[in-house]
Amino acid sequence: MDKADLMQQELLLDVKGLKKYFPVQSGLLRRTVGTVRAVDGVDLFVRKGETLGLVGESGCGKTTAGRTILRLLQPTAGEIRFNDPKLGWVNLERMSRQELAAVRPNMQIIFQDPFSSLNPRMTVERIIAEPLVINKVAKGQELKDRVADLLRVVGMRPEYMSRYPHAFSGGQRQRIGIARALALNPKLIICDEPVSALDVSIQAQVLNLLEDLQAQFDLTYIFIAHDLSVVEHISDRVAVMYVGQIVELASTDELYYTPKHPYTEALMAAVPKPDPRRRDRPIKLPGEVASPVNPPSGCYFHPRCRYAKEVCSKEAPVFREVTPLHYARCHFADELKLRGVVG
Amino acid sequence: MAKQAGSSTTPEGLVVRVRDLHVYFFTDLGVSRALNGVSLDIPAGKVTGVVGESGCGKSVTALSIMRLVPHPGRITKGEILLYREREKQNGHSIVEEVNLTDLDPQGPVIRSIRGAELAMIFQEPMTSLNPSYTIGDQIMEAILLHQQCTRKEAEERAVDILARAGMPNPQTVVRRYPHELSGGMRQRAMIAMALSCTPSVLFADEPTTALDVTTEAQILDLMRELQAAMGMAIVFITHNLGVVAQMCDTVAVMYLGRVVEQAPVEPLFYDPQHPYTRALLRSIPHVGSRTKARLQPIRGVVPDPYATIEGCPFHPRCDYRKPGLCDVRVPATTQVGENHTVRCFLYTEQGEDNG
Ligand SMILES: Nc1ncnc2c1ncn2[C@@H]1O[C@H](COP(=O)(O)OP(=O)(O)OP(=O)(O)O)[C@@H](O)[C@H]1O
Ligand SMILES: Nc1ncnc2c1ncn2[C@@H]1O[C@H](COP(=O)(O)OP(=O)(O)OP(=O)(O)O)[C@@H](O)[C@H]1O
Ligand code: SF4
Ligand SMILES: [Mg+2]
Ligand SMILES: [Mg+2]
Repeated sequence: MDKADLMQQELLLDVKGLKKYFPVQSGLLRRTVGTVRAVDGVDLFVRKGETLGLVGESGCGKTTAGRTILRLLQPTAGEIRFNDPKLGWVNLERMSRQELAAVRPNMQIIFQDPFSSLNPRMTVERIIAEPLVINKVAKGQELKDRVADLLRVVGMRPEYMSRYPHAFSGGQRQRIGIARALALNPKLIICDEPVSALDVSIQAQVLNLLEDLQAQFDLTYIFIAHDLSVVEHISDRVAVMYVGQIVELASTDELYYTPKHPYTEALMAAVPKPDPRRRDRPIKLPGEVASPVNPPSGCYFHPRCRYAKEVCSKEAPVFREVTPLHYARCHFADELKLRGVVG
Repeated sequence: MAKQAGSSTTPEGLVVRVRDLHVYFFTDLGVSRALNGVSLDIPAGKVTGVVGESGCGKSVTALSIMRLVPHPGRITKGEILLYREREKQNGHSIVEEVNLTDLDPQGPVIRSIRGAELAMIFQEPMTSLNPSYTIGDQIMEAILLHQQCTRKEAEERAVDILARAGMPNPQTVVRRYPHELSGGMRQRAMIAMALSCTPSVLFADEPTTALDVTTEAQILDLMRELQAAMGMAIVFITHNLGVVAQMCDTVAVMYLGRVVEQAPVEPLFYDPQHPYTRALLRSIPHVGSRTKARLQPIRGVVPDPYATIEGCPFHPRCDYRKPGLCDVRVPATTQVGENHTVRCFLYTEQGEDNG
């Protein structure tokens, strides 16, 4: 089976060749002196009702990819097809502002930082009501009732709606952000590091909530994070990014236990395991992440790769399906026997 | 001030002992009881992890030992003892006990101890590296403050210590400014600076929290390597239980201004005793566990440090609490195994007065 066999109705999102470049400016005249290839050719699809984890190290382009998919940023190149429940398949990259307004309610985002993503001068009621007001979904008592419902859905007391964000803990603020994202009954929610800023004991509450809501409202998530244990727990499939590109995409189990890209292998080995009897770390990744302004030739990972051969510095590997629905961007993906996470 | 004690009367193998330490912040909003009776043993030459949720007092504990508690905070009770080895004329060394709580925090004694014997890597690298001086100047300044040598020798030492910290091109990095370095390189520079005077205790406050996992793994390897080579004690503050398991020999678990459990790393992970430690370990997803079992969160919220909680600070969230006891009195620290202590009424009937 490959992707073509997946029924088009099963998919919610299909992204091809997505690029987002930013100019690097310098000096008084803000001359453009280079280009940040923040997202540099991303292919992925998302099935209805699944959670796709998106992992990779700081600056690899996760947030930019998420925001570009939602057309909060204008893509430099590529195709973003979204299966809208009313309109059917639409190409987001070609849509005008007005056209987008009709699709937007179906696509929401939850931000990383529960402390800066909520306006401190707005009450919880106004924060959650805002998308409902903007989209003219409800007003008056109906609006208030809807906000109260949303607070209950995320496990908070409706009496809290007249309070301001500062009166809440990090976990509670993240719940408020989630309630707002749910207000318009979206299909797709991009969760951009939703638990990274939270204490571990609170992370579990928010992760459980996201799972419950997914089951209850048939939600589809793109879950961005760098904590690989959280991602393993919540994702059906996982995409690994390195310098603006997806280097591997597979079901969570395949990606964690039989990876096909050397970077995924190194990433898995680096996760500090909460077990003092497992301190062996057979694979060490030297050096630093390449710059998206000036990426290396050939495979972007080759300067750090323990398996690199001559071809790796000369030719860029293509992102291809190595085994059914398991994609990797490595010249040797078929032959390498890589280690996964040791449980 | 510095009382001399034969090694027979000092606790075996400790470099710092903290007893019943209270640090309060007297703010306009009220009194924040940041530390409410912290007792902690730091063994010499080992890595002690300090874990706990945000605001439980990890950083303040380290700052207190360094005598760097910022205004409006004050040590209101308790003691901090430093055990230092002193060479005697006849070649025998003896252990001297210094009560750090007695020292003037701005005085010459603590200033000679700070940097030379107790060094710290701060939570925010950019706050402890001065943006307007080169990396080399900052390390040299630390060296010149505590050691007698020429600028030339200090510069050579700076390059040398940067190289030991795994810095690529140390000769050029000494001339760079902090903002010109990546996060991982900045952290290496911080480690180099802290180690420039071979301290006996290094406090590392979340030294890898801001880093990516692969960079974090590099820095953890480096710290382990330097720790083994230099034989210092490291107090490793983090909220990442994975990092604790990988790095530490012994672990102190803090909750709301108190150490609730301290144990060697294996019993802490395999046989945790305090209900909070148990709940914390259950609440995290374990990478590679292959199970999609639902996570078990700790119920309730982390309480606000301005509020006063009667009894055991964990009792409002605890599944084992004994009414009439846990909500009334604070459990005393109890020994439950070798170097394993816990503060919980499941292990003792003995309480302490709420302080
Ligand atoms: N508006 C912008 N202008 C210029 N460069 C940008 C802009 N936004 C992002 N970048 C750059 O694009 C790259 C990708 O950034 P992005 O925020 O998407 O990474 P990320 O994977 O989300 O990182 P993190 O894990 O730190 O959140 C980075 O090099 C970043 O500096
Ligand atoms: N300058 C200050 N003024 C008032 N209160 C303070 C100050 N510094 C710390 N505190 C209080 O002391 C308590 C302990 O803080 P501390 O910084 O030690 O926590 P922590 O365990 O290091 O948390 P984190 O994991 O977030 O770094 C907190 O409740 C905090 O509010
Ligand atoms: S003392 Fe009581 S409330 Fe506190 S942790 Fe132990 S059982 Fe729970
Ligand atoms: Mg991001
Ligand atoms: Mg801290």
